[in-house]
Amino acid sequence: MNPRVVGANLVVSIKSFYREKTAMFFTMAFPIILILVFGTIFMDQENVSFHLYVQDLDHTDSSAQLVNTLELNGKFQITKVEPAVNATQYAKNNKLNLVLTIPEGYERSLMQRMMRNDPNASATITYIYDPSSTSVATKMEILNSVFAEINQRMSGKPPFIRSAETSILTKKYRFIEFFIPGIIAMAVMTASLFGTVNLNTELRQKGVIRKLSTTPITRTDWILANILYQFILAVISTIAMLLVSYAVFHISLQINAWLPVFIVLDVFAFVGIGMVLTRFVREAQSAAAAANAIMFPMMFLSGSFFPIEMMPGFLQTLARILPLYYVNEGLRASMVFVDNMAALRNSAIIGVFAAVVFIMGIFATKWEEGK
Amino acid sequence: MGSMMKEAEHVIEVEKLTKRYGDLLAVNDISFNVRKGEVFALLGPNGAGKTTTVEIIDTIRTPTSGKVSLLGMDVTKKKHDIVPRIGVLPQGFSSFDRITVRETLQYYSRLFRLRDTDVDGLIELVTLKDKTQEIYKNLSGGLQQRLGIAIALVNDPEVVFLDEPTTGLDPRARREVWDVLLGLKKKGTTVFLTTHYMEEAELLADTVAIISKGKIIAMGSPGELIESNANYLVLTLQFVDEQAFEIVRKMGFEPVQDNRKNIKVRVEHTDDVQKILNAIKDAGTSLHSLDVRKPNLEEVFLKLTGEALREGPAGGRGAE
Ligand SMILES: Nc1ncnc2c1ncn2[C@@H]1O[C@H](COP(=O)(O)OP(=O)(O)OP(=O)(O)O)[C@@H](O)[C@H]1O
Ligand SMILES: [Mg+2]
Repeated sequence: MNPRVVGANLVVSIKSFYREKTAMFFTMAFPIILILVFGTIFMDQENVSFHLYVQDLDHTDSSAQLVNTLELNGKFQITKVEPAVNATQYAKNNKLNLVLTIPEGYERSLMQRMMRNDPNASATITYIYDPSSTSVATKMEILNSVFAEINQRMSGKPPFIRSAETSILTKKYRFIEFFIPGIIAMAVMTASLFGTVNLNTELRQKGVIRKLSTTPITRTDWILANILYQFILAVISTIAMLLVSYAVFHISLQINAWLPVFIVLDVFAFVGIGMVLTRFVREAQSAAAAANAIMFPMMFLSGSFFPIEMMPGFLQTLARILPLYYVNEGLRASMVFVDNMAALRNSAIIGVFAAVVFIMGIFATKWEEGK
Repeated sequence: MGSMMKEAEHVIEVEKLTKRYGDLLAVNDISFNVRKGEVFALLGPNGAGKTTTVEIIDTIRTPTSGKVSLLGMDVTKKKHDIVPRIGVLPQGFSSFDRITVRETLQYYSRLFRLRDTDVDGLIELVTLKDKTQEIYKNLSGGLQQRLGIAIALVNDPEVVFLDEPTTGLDPRARREVWDVLLGLKKKGTTVFLTTHYMEEAELLADTVAIISKGKIIAMGSPGELIESNANYLVLTLQFVDEQAFEIVRKMGFEPVQDNRKNIKVRVEHTDDVQKILNAIKDAGTSLHSLDVRKPNLEEVFLKLTGEALREGPAGGRGAE
């Protein structure tokens, strides 16, 4: 390895990139535009309301008012469940993750407490829920806070402990916060894959590679320079995406050491795939087509844009064999859910993959025998 | 290296070199030597095997069989030792589109791990002084080739390989490249050149090897080649009258007519010229112009292979 040779290549790559404005636009601005467009589209959906099923066994004005309070909270779209049915059975049959039951005698208890100041009078509202559902905890959390507020008001004194919300571990995330790690993973993949394929096929077709093979530059220096160049681009592009997201959508994401780790692995994996591709697909056009064929399924099936839970089962299985899936999951684990174990698990998987394809790429890259 | 001082030191030694691409025999058992300090030209038509040969010698490709040594080293085994000491302009050379002339030369200089390359001197040598800040893409074809030559010289090489340095250039650009190459020749650089322009070989080369279908069919200085293969004169006549062609043919010569209605006749002696002119005069045919000259490499090639070096009428460009 010769640092001056690597440096010389890096300088040439960066100058070429900087001077080619359209390429620069597509690598830098395109992901940002994607973030702006999707972020704006999904902004409204952020106040998404949960479906809530309520069985009112009391059937009085007071119980109706309670339901109304829940509705006014704005987080819930309420569906009434007939008092006659068995709520547990109903939840099972209709695959509901939460049914709320207001007990018979709710109004009576309420009156007793309000009028007679009887501290023993209380009402128990039952949550019939499916613990395996992911969103149920969030719903119950919101409900608890609504009830706590009602209790508090009934005590007639201002609250003693007030709370100020700052981010907590299992915080609710917004769509845009879920979306951005996916776009970062995708943008880095696209730039690395296409950057490598385009650079190598173009230079080979132009005969520059043949010329380089008559200079003392080694394969290692060449590959190293390419990796460094792609990494620099990835870092700049990621910073730009994050800055725009902070400025426009006021996102709150965890930026920690996992971010550069996943970017490096993303770069290695897709530069590696690019190098293997250029070796076996000779023509520049078919190489670009092959790169597209790899990129598109990766983009749509690996959960870059939406959670893979939204896809049918067999596609979810397919997603798990796509390398980008692990970058997405890993970046989300670190940036959104702050789950270090999950980040570690995903980085290990993509790390092994990146190492394998990159080594294949090194062997696939050839200097000699122009054709 | 070990070889004793012969008549002159051989920088390149090619012995029974053969290259196959599958079934295709691109280079067929050729042997030749290149002396230190000479300009050696491999002259041949498209597909003759020029690039294959030169790229085997300059370590880009590998031979199927045969032995090639460059600067005393086996090209298949000592690539790493050879590369820093040679300069190569590959056929159809091209460089990074958006990198300037100066930056490109600096880049290649760094690849050779050099610190004291005289970039300005090189720029001056190929007369690109007012284009140093121009990016490669914006240079004309001739300027691009001149930059390519400068790049090939960046490491002050002992042997320079130039594969068709003027193909695709207009006559003026070609002449400008020739000026650069004449400068190299004057400096005593060993140059291995391939070309399908006989003027180029004739003007620049000390030794010309004519290659056709993977075989070297003649080799020597341009003068020797003409002397031994085309010992005749070429008479070119321009008539107003069509029947002159028949008159010459009936005299036992083999005239050929080109698209400008010029008649070309090969004659052994100056006497024949006189005879033909007399016959034409007797027939009362009027003559527009006439030209007698010694043949060139184009005709040597034509005679040896029965094929033209390039498409178009053989020797149809007249003498200049
Ligand atoms: N890599 C290759 N694979 C297969 N055939 C090849 C390859 N390179 C050259 N050839 C064939 O070998 C023959 C000689 O080619 P070569 O390029 O050496 O000729 P050339 O004299 O340089 O021609 P030109 O003037 O067109 O450059 C041609 O028939 C060509 O098609
Ligand atoms: Mg050639």
